[in-house]
Formats: sequence, structure tokens, C-alpha cells
Amino acid sequence: MTDQAQQLTEIYRRMVLIRQFEEQVRSLYSGGAVPGLVHLCSGQEASAVGACFPLNDDDFIASSHRGHGHCLAKGMRPGPLMAEILGRSAGYCGGRSGSLHVSDPATGNLGTNGIVGGGIPLAAGAALGARARGRGQVAVCFFGDGALNQGLVFEVMNMAAIWSLPVIFICENNGYGEYTAIGDVTAGNSLTARGEVFDIPSSLVDGMDVLEVLAASRAAVSLARRGGGPSFLIFNTYRYGGHHVGDRQDYKDRKETEAWEAKDPIPRFANHLLERRLADPSGLAAIEEGVAEEIRAAVEFAKASPEPAPGDLRRALYA
Amino acid sequence: MQTMRTMTFAEAIVDGLANALRADPCVTMVGSYVLGLGPLRHHMDRIKREFPDRLIDGPISEAALAGLGAGAAMAGARPFVDFGTASFSLLALSQLANESAVARLMSGGQISVPVVYHMLHGVRGGGAAQHSTSPQAMLWNSPGLEIVLPSGPRDVKGLIRRSLKTDNPTVFINHAKLMAYEEAVPEEDYEIAFGVAEIKRAGRDVTIVATSYMVRVALAAADQLAAEGIEAEIVDPRTLVPFDEAAVLTSVGRTGRLVVVDECPLRCGIASEIVATVAERGFRSLKAPPQRVARADSPIPCSPGLEAAVTPSEATIIDAVHRVMR
Amino acid sequence: MTNVPDWKVKLRIFERMLLMRRLEECVLDLAAQKIMVGHFHVYVGQEAAGAAVLEAAGPNELLLTTHRNHGHLVGRGADPGKLLAEFLGREGGLNRGRGGTLHATDRSLGFLQTSAVLGGVVPLAIGAAFALKREKTGRAAIAFFGDGSLEEGCTFEAFNIAALWQLPVVFVCENNSVGAIGQAGGGYPTSISAATQLTRIPRVFDIPTRVFLDGNDVAGIHAAAVEALARARGGGGPTFIETLTTRWPGSQPLWPEPATGTTMLEMAYGDRQPEGLHAEWIRIHDPVLRVARELLAGGCERKVLEALDADIRRRIDAAAKFAIASPFPDPAGAADHIFA
Repeated sequence: MTDQAQQLTEIYRRMVLIRQFEEQVRSLYSGGAVPGLVHLCSGQEASAVGACFPLNDDDFIASSHRGHGHCLAKGMRPGPLMAEILGRSAGYCGGRSGSLHVSDPATGNLGTNGIVGGGIPLAAGAALGARARGRGQVAVCFFGDGALNQGLVFEVMNMAAIWSLPVIFICENNGYGEYTAIGDVTAGNSLTARGEVFDIPSSLVDGMDVLEVLAASRAAVSLARRGGGPSFLIFNTYRYGGHHVGDRQDYKDRKETEAWEAKDPIPRFANHLLERRLADPSGLAAIEEGVAEEIRAAVEFAKASPEPAPGDLRRALYA
Repeated sequence: MQTMRTMTFAEAIVDGLANALRADPCVTMVGSYVLGLGPLRHHMDRIKREFPDRLIDGPISEAALAGLGAGAAMAGARPFVDFGTASFSLLALSQLANESAVARLMSGGQISVPVVYHMLHGVRGGGAAQHSTSPQAMLWNSPGLEIVLPSGPRDVKGLIRRSLKTDNPTVFINHAKLMAYEEAVPEEDYEIAFGVAEIKRAGRDVTIVATSYMVRVALAAADQLAAEGIEAEIVDPRTLVPFDEAAVLTSVGRTGRLVVVDECPLRCGIASEIVATVAERGFRSLKAPPQRVARADSPIPCSPGLEAAVTPSEATIIDAVHRVMR
Repeated sequence: MTNVPDWKVKLRIFERMLLMRRLEECVLDLAAQKIMVGHFHVYVGQEAAGAAVLEAAGPNELLLTTHRNHGHLVGRGADPGKLLAEFLGREGGLNRGRGGTLHATDRSLGFLQTSAVLGGVVPLAIGAAFALKREKTGRAAIAFFGDGSLEEGCTFEAFNIAALWQLPVVFVCENNSVGAIGQAGGGYPTSISAATQLTRIPRVFDIPTRVFLDGNDVAGIHAAAVEALARARGGGGPTFIETLTTRWPGSQPLWPEPATGTTMLEMAYGDRQPEGLHAEWIRIHDPVLRVARELLAGGCERKVLEALDADIRRRIDAAAKFAIASPFPDPAGAADHIFA
């Protein structure tokens, strides 16, 4: 298999991994095993995988409340991630963070975040440090369309532009901030204008096409690595689930959902690989089986992990 | 002669709001109009039906919406601005502490800011650090804000009605765990004055001061204590600003023993302030050192066992009462 | 495109400007006497925009301003004695000494909270506009703020909401960063925005904008304000007007200094030439002298301007006497006015 084919099948594997992971989380949540709420990213896999593919372990990401996909795409392992979501001691954060604040310094993950837009200044800060270190590291922050109206986004973009920070602002526009449609709360007829106002290169990308996401991300990462400053990418995408598991989704139109389901990034990419003979059906099936096994093991690992002992509490509070 | 009906806390909030909206055309609701009612949010349907033009859903822009509420209030409206989770109100802290709270004094009395800010505080279960904030102690330390902490349906209906009448900026703080709690509530329109505490349970042995959801937890603890022969008196201040200091001092004057329960972190929390007040003004009544039962000085962890370990509970209240009874 | 207003309008604008200027000269004098309370900010060199907008404003508009409020307040008609008394922290002040120069306000003239937190007035202004819109009385809100406010996130949030809900508000951004020496030079921090032209920011939200690179163009600014207020009152939503002025040399250091001396109208007549370090600023950038020259060129008689100035100086003298004589507030009343 060529290098390129290997990379592409790896991209496919990662998207399948996220999709299956999220389905298991949904099922565990319905069974009462997950403390708090979870916000699943099914449908948005291309965005996470394509954006993280050009990144190394020592590049940074800051994620949002809908972050499991980013975490997996950036290299976190499904077992300890699942354990963290279940609040168990073998989780990445010892059960303290849960889904909303899970982080992993080893893979440069500054964490998911429960505050809309909360990770954006963190990513810019990491970028500032990266620039000082001069090793070509970059930072990526993910946020949703709901965050576009957070003042913090503008403050940080302004600074990133003035200081030419190696940070990439990625807005995963799935059309809804919680239960509210983007058009109801966002003035102006151009979303990219919010980056262009600071002369930050900004573009709209089909977030359901992993190759388009990959191309845009590679360009932005490359620009940042060579000192060319920030970029603002808007990935038009869709979440097949609700804002959180349990959301009745009565604000969504059936026709709209069907139209987006027809653009499902995973079968779409599979077709692409098959049509161009970059993979064959049995190869893809093997990938899917491999993922299923990996997820099964992850769930088992997570469920087997004990809850953290309260006596442990003060351990992680201060350095 | 009052007609009473059993209603949930969620329904009582909406009932009070509906009465306010009906009585005063200046009242407008801004922000997420589900108010954190969660599974009980269908109660808001009647407001959407009866007052469709008085509910406005805004973008996720806490600072601007908080400031909008303050500015509209200065200009003669009575906005009710909902933040949702109290943690998010911290994004608007400047608008609360630097604008709303100070305008009256800064202007020498010319400007009033009759805005109500609504939020849900406290440990709700799995919320972790950014969905579990109880900011009332911080806000009590920002003079100029009224602060309301209802503990039950009857209180919330009357207090919310009053909050939309006062000419001061009011922070109205509810709790997710109270939403489904039911009790008998008068059907008619009524208001409850600020600065008037209520004795939720009379008792001769120990005064337990509690607010919000902790009133429920304290009442449950009191039942257990009664089985041991300890009769606890639960004092619910209902508002922190204005604060009914006299009620607390009178109760401690009778019992001589004080436990204060509060969901804010221990240091500089509500409990600390109330204990300090009693130590200064009611020292001679005390037969034992007062006890604070509060959240641990820690961000809230996600895992349920860890979360429980840092949150006040019946067990920790009972322990504190035992200490004070020795 | 500029409208040339009726010269009577221009004279009224000039009167406001001269009142602002003489007030600020008095403030600098009081500072020299060491009786000004706390740090203060003067409006010298920026009078044109404020006066032109205030001339366009109706009696029922609601106004918001910032720490740089002296010009807006006196230009709108606030009693200069009570204004100065407020700066001196006296009981006779507009705010009974509680707000000082940073929060001076006059509710009877339509001013709401005067905020000294950068960006603070912008959300308040959209709130005022929100209330006015609901009242359906065709009134508008006017917000005065500086270029620094455009770095604050809440400003962006507020612009988004103003545009979304078509709120009746006129945003007046008085950009005085031209010629500022910046923090490194011992002066004020100047605005640090990647938006090379500040009007690009409100345009992100499709808010109509006007920019006056010549911030002393009273005719143009007045016309723009008239148009913006008509748009707001008519339900057409917000407008953003930016005016740029070359910073007065006395406002360059952190504490204002009387760098250009007392304004002498004779310099407009040509009877005197500006001298000294800042002669160029006086000659080219002083808005008061410029508008005086325009009035004279338009046929206004010198004696009209002189009489106006004499009257204003009398009023300011009387105001200063009132302010200095006003007692300090009784400390027993320190807790007054916290709550209604």
C-alpha cells in the first residue's frame, strides 16, 4: 500500500473510531453510566479528523463541549477517554473532569471545555508560548457557531492577528447553538467577515468532506508553522444528535436532517476510496471490525475501572 | 381566604413570572427562555403563548446581554435576563459588579437599575467545574446588588414577583435540584418582601441557617436529628441582600448553637459571613463555637463519589450539629 | 458629500464647543490648584464631534458617555457649576460628589450611567435602545466612546445584538489615537487593533458606518448624526460614526496638562499667531479655532464670537466659584444611594 493510501485509510479509520465511540457513549448514557451530560459529535467526524491530521503530538488543540472527536483525532486512546467520561479513576483525569474538561498534555490537548468559547484564549496562549519557543508548533482551537457571538473570540482573534500567533481558529458550524438556529442570533451576512476584519485569512469549507477539511487545515497549519500567523476556517457541518444526549431536537426539520444524512462524511469517504481503488471493500470492512474490537475493549476497560476514592481529592488540586 | 394548589418549583417560577408579565408591560425576558427548567420546561409554553413578544432569545453573549439588561433598566424597562448556569454569569461580572451594582451610588441617586438577573447555581450532578458554580458569596461581596435565594415553590413565586418590582438590580438564584420539588402554593398573585427570613422548622436545640437547596437538605437532616432527640430550628433568610440579621440573632438567642449550611466554597462563603455576624453581634448567646458546613475549597470534580465528597450533605450537617451540641 | 448647515446651526455648534473648551480650561486650572479629585480626562481637541452630534440630538434622546464626559455633559446643557462641583467631589455636584469626573451624569438631560470601564457603555447603550424600541415612542440612544472600546469583546457582542434586533442606537466612536505617544512614551495606551479601519468592525454585522478622517468637520458630522438619528427613530436600526482627531498635546501625558495655554480667539481672526512647541497643533488641529475661522469666512461678525466668548467665560467663572464654595458631602451620608 502506498504512503498516500495508508494515510487515507488511517483517516477513514479515525472517523469510524469516533462514530463508533460516540454511539457507545450514547448507549452508556442511556444506561445511566455517565455522570452529567454528554454532547456527541456524530456527523462531525470529518472536521475533527481532517483538522487534526496535520498536527503532531507537540502541537496543541483546545476543544469545546462537543470534544470527544477532537480528543480521539488528536491521539487520545479510547479506553482511558471512555473511562474519564464515565468518571472512573483510570480516566485521563482520574475521573475529575468527565467529558467536559478532559485533557492530555502528552498529545497537546489543552482540554474540552464547558464554557462556550472557553478554549479559544487557551489556544492563543499556547500559540504565544509556541512562538517564543520557535520550534514551529501550532495551536488549533475548535468552537461551534454559537461561540461566534462570544466577545472573547473577537478579542483573541484581534490579538492573534496583531502578534501573528500560530493559531488556527476552527468554527464547526453545525447550524445550531444549543437549540437555537444560527441565523436567529448572528447578524451580518458573512461569517468569514469575523476573521477578515482583522485581515486573518478566512474560508468556508465543506465540513462533510474530509479531504476538503484536510486541504484547508494543511494550508493553515503550514502558514502558521512558517510564521505566517493565524487562520480562520469555518467547517460547515451537522450534528446528527441533539445538543446533548436526551435533547428532543424538536427544533430540527426532518427534511433538513435527511439532507445532511445523505452527506454523511464516512460513507462518502468510503465511496471515494473505493471509486479510486485506494481501498477495497474487504479492507474497509477489516478496518471497521478492528475499530469495533478496539471500542469493545475500551468500554470493558472503562466499566472495569473503579470510581475514584474521595480520599484522593486533594491530590490534584494544587501543584 | 387563599386557594392552595400543589405545584413544582418550576411551575411556581413560571406562575410568578406570568403574574409579573401580566401586571407590568415593562417586564421583558431576555436570554435563554427555558430558564433551566430542564425536563419541566414545558411550563414555559404558557408564557410563550400569552406573551409572545415579551420573550427574546439572544446570542451566547453574556456580557452584552447583562449590560443590555442594565441599560434597558436605566432607561425605564424591567428586564429579566437569564444566564442559564450561574458559571456563565462570570463572563458578565463587569456588567454586574461595575455597572449594575454601582450606577445608583455613582450617580448620586439619579439612576436606578431595576434589572433582574436569573441563574441556576450549585452542584447539580456531574456538572463538573464549569457547571456547578455558586457565585452568591462573590456577588454578596459586590455591594449594590440584591440577592435572592428561594428554597421552595411558595417562596419562589412570591419572591420572583417582588424582584420584578424593586428598583434595584436583583440577582435571582435558583437551583436545578429544586425544580421538581412540590408543595402547596397560593393560586393567586402575591409577593414576598425581601429581607424577611422564614423559620422553616421550629426547634429549641440548634439554629441551622441554610439557603436555597440546602434548606431541603437541612430539613432532611433535621428529621434524622429529631429521631435522636435533637430539635433543630431551620432559618431560611430567603434573601442575602437585604439580609434579615435580626431573625438569625433571635433564633441563636433562643438556641445558643449555630450551624450554617451553604453551597459556596468554605473560604469567604455565605456561611463565613453569617457566622462572623453572629460572632460579632450575638456572641453572648453562643454556648459553643459556630460551625460552617460548606462546599470544599475545590473546583467540583465530575465523578459522583468525588462530587459528593466535596458537597454539603445531610451527613455533614448532622456531624456539624453533633459538634455544636457537645 | 457634506451638507453645509445653516450658519445659525454652526454658530450653535460653535457655542457648545466654546463652552466645552472654557470648561476644560477651568478644569485644568482647578487641577493646578490641586482641588480636582482623582484622575481626570479632558475633551480638548475633540469638541467638534461631540458638539455636532449633540446639536443633532433631540431633547428626548438617551445618552451614554465614558470617563471622557465633560464635553458631552456641558455641551448637552448640564449646569457647569454642578458639573465642576462634581469633579471637586462636592455635595452640590450633579452626582452629589459620589461619582466624580469618572461617573458624572445628568439623568434629567437623558444621560444614563457614565461608565469608566472601557467598552462598558456599549452594552448599556443597546439596552437603552432596547427599552426605547419597546416603548415605540420613536426615541433613540446615543453612545459616545473611544477607539479603545473597540478592542473589548462586549462591544462586538453588543454590535451583533444591535444589528440583529435593529435597535435604535447611534454609536459615536471618537478616535483620538492619532498623534498619541503611547504607553512606551509615557502617555496613554493607544488602541491596538488589527482592524486597520475601525469601521470594518461594525460592518461585520452589516451596521451602516460613516467615518470622518477629518474629525473637525462639524458640518459633515452634524449631517451624519441627523441621518443616523432619523434612521434609528424610524426603525432602521443602528449606525456607527467614527471621528478621528489629532490628539491634543495636553492629553498626551498620563495627566492632562495645559499644553496650549488659554484658547485665544484672536488666533482665528489672524490677530495673533500661535507660538511655541505646539503651534502647529493650534494652527491646524484646534477645532475651536477652525470653526471660528469657518464662521468668520461665512460672514459671521467677529463681535458676535467675542460676545459669545465673554458670556461663556462669565458663566464658567461663576460656575467655578459655585463649585469651590460647595461643601463636601457629610460622611454620615456615605451609604446614601446604594439602593433605591
